[in-house]
Amino acid sequence: MNNASINRLAPFVFLAPAAIIMLIALLYPLLYMVYGSFREWDPSQTIGETEFVGFKNYITLLNDPSFHESLGVTLKFAFAVVSIEMLLGVGLALLLDRNIRGISILRTMFILPMMIAPVVVGLMWRYMYHPTVGTFNRFLKSMGFEGVDWLGQHALMSIIIADIWQWTPFIFILTLAALQSLPKSTLEAARIDGATGWQQIIYIKIPLMMPVLIVTCLLRLIDAFKVLEVILVMTEGGPGLSTEILALRISRTATEFRELGVAAAMSNYLLILLLIFTLSMIAYNKYVENRAARLRAAKEGDA
Amino acid sequence: MLKTISKIAGATAGLAMLATTALSNPYKEYEGTTLVVNFPAHPHYNAVMQILPEFTKETGIEVEVDQLPYLKMRERQTLELAQDEGDYDLIAYVVFSKADYVYADQLENLARYFMNPKLADPSYDASDLIDGYVYNIGFAGGNKGYLEGKTGSLFGVPYGSETSVLGYRTDIFEKHGLKVPETYDELLETACKIPELEPGMGGLSSRAASGHHASHAFLLHLAPLGGRVFDDNWNPIVNNDAGVKAANALKQIVDCGPEGASSFGFGEALGSFLNGDTAMFLDTTVVAGQINDPSKSKVVGKVGWAMHPMGTRRGSQTGGFGIGIPKNAENKEAAFLLMQWLTSKQGDKLVALAGGNPSRFSTHADADVNAKFPHMATFGEALKYADPDWRPIIPVWGKINADIGTTLSKVLTEDLDIKEALDGVAERTKAVMEEAGYYTWQ
Repeated sequence: MNNASINRLAPFVFLAPAAIIMLIALLYPLLYMVYGSFREWDPSQTIGETEFVGFKNYITLLNDPSFHESLGVTLKFAFAVVSIEMLLGVGLALLLDRNIRGISILRTMFILPMMIAPVVVGLMWRYMYHPTVGTFNRFLKSMGFEGVDWLGQHALMSIIIADIWQWTPFIFILTLAALQSLPKSTLEAARIDGATGWQQIIYIKIPLMMPVLIVTCLLRLIDAFKVLEVILVMTEGGPGLSTEILALRISRTATEFRELGVAAAMSNYLLILLLIFTLSMIAYNKYVENRAARLRAAKEGDA
Repeated sequence: MLKTISKIAGATAGLAMLATTALSNPYKEYEGTTLVVNFPAHPHYNAVMQILPEFTKETGIEVEVDQLPYLKMRERQTLELAQDEGDYDLIAYVVFSKADYVYADQLENLARYFMNPKLADPSYDASDLIDGYVYNIGFAGGNKGYLEGKTGSLFGVPYGSETSVLGYRTDIFEKHGLKVPETYDELLETACKIPELEPGMGGLSSRAASGHHASHAFLLHLAPLGGRVFDDNWNPIVNNDAGVKAANALKQIVDCGPEGASSFGFGEALGSFLNGDTAMFLDTTVVAGQINDPSKSKVVGKVGWAMHPMGTRRGSQTGGFGIGIPKNAENKEAAFLLMQWLTSKQGDKLVALAGGNPSRFSTHADADVNAKFPHMATFGEALKYADPDWRPIIPVWGKINADIGTTLSKVLTEDLDIKEALDGVAERTKAVMEEAGYYTWQ
């Protein structure tokens, strides 16, 4: 073997260990799941003993009203939490992106909820929402109002509030980092040209932060589709199926209904859904970048 | 002199007897064995932990316990039992796992142990075990596959099993001159009268949360009101008159219950009774210990117990745990000895005195046990009506149970029409049963 081909091979040799680990750790379970989704699989059986049923699990799900309801709940939950969290998180970051006394303490306090284990968050909110001894209803009653049936009549709203409380800081912290790394010269130029605070936010800060915001939004969206523990602890999906998001339904299908094949098929649907979101966001990002590049090129051409 | 001789003779006889006992010690062969067992974190099994050292002292067999939350336990067991060689020698299983484990051929049939003269203790007295529990929890292959019947046999022994009783606040009942409900009409009337008599207090705290809890609460009323989930040909009849009546009863109980009752799981329902927020509690016998524990309860000494009220018939629930030997266990014979010891008359009494749930009639009638736990006599009476068929234990039950539970939760919170909701359940159940092959022979 000559030197040139050794040199050509070198990067692959160095990449190989990582690639092999990726294959084993990432692809194997994924393919296992895809394989399992085509089989009628009871957890008491090993996968070898299971029966191949083709697309039956997928078709069953398409005709299953509970799955539809669960999917609807997931979409409602995910879009509600992500849009409100984005608004609040970005707003907070814009507010706190300045030098005031004690700002670092304030920032630390804002990100505390994110650091609490989900099960604890679930328990905490469940007790705060408790109809008689919970913080909220006691407060409402002491003010002379009627108590609210938080986890009964308004369960979806209640879990949305809890999720917003926990995850707004995530968006806040990423947006703040993005804000602080914005080029100072652009902002200065805008100020000199007489841009107001609002104008700076709308025309400069937000467009410049867009790539970060899109990634943040995507990360939150993926997370919101998969959230399990907080809801499991707070409502167990009830009342009815009103808070049974897909992740919870997958877990119940596997453990309670003992249908691993159907659970795997449901996971695959979720995976496909998330892939579509991710790909379209990446595509949109690319489109925006290309357009900006074209505009720049056109401008340079004009000059 | 004569005295001395008789003393010596007595001593010799005593020694000889001791020697014979030592020789015939059935545990001898297994001395030094370490059994690994899987038990749930549950009040009964916490009591079992206290008596296990006694077993080791008596037999020389060591026991290592893996105690897990009971739903986690099922997941772990599902994985363990599917292996070629399992870690567990003895497992406690939740009653509805019986169908899955036996169907997957993962539990030992106990016949070959009970017919082995070296292992089976002749004084075991199996007829003293509570019938409803044995058939509900340990028996498989009989009528309908899960009940007593000529084709069935024993795969486990009930241990930590429970039935339903009505707990009521003696102080509240006395204060308003209320009669302890004996029938369902009286129960529902009293449940809704209490919030009027004691503003802020709920009538009866029941589970009602979506899923397993709501289904459990509904089935609890279904059997005494004369209903069943299936008829003898596996046709769902959950939507007949008795079913509608049971769902109505549940709705009325929740409506007259404490605030927020529609989202109560078992913990909240019990919590609200322990907290003094409700006047009655209709659920498992397993809570009796906690009600008299001042660190957990505000109603110590204020609770009386009565039988589960009667509808068209008596029918209290049967549930809880059984113990069985996995097919892939390493020390099956020693595991059987532990199982036999735990469920023997002596073991059952020991665990009852430590605060567990006895599985034998004799323990419920035992003077020492009753002196320590006066409610035991009522519980023993309730057991005579423990209904092993209040809930079908078939492999597809998990799915049907979840459907009943979520649908009833909708009835409770979204005011869905009861008959319509139950018709929906029956229709979906029929499809599940059809797919599982229950109508193959029709």
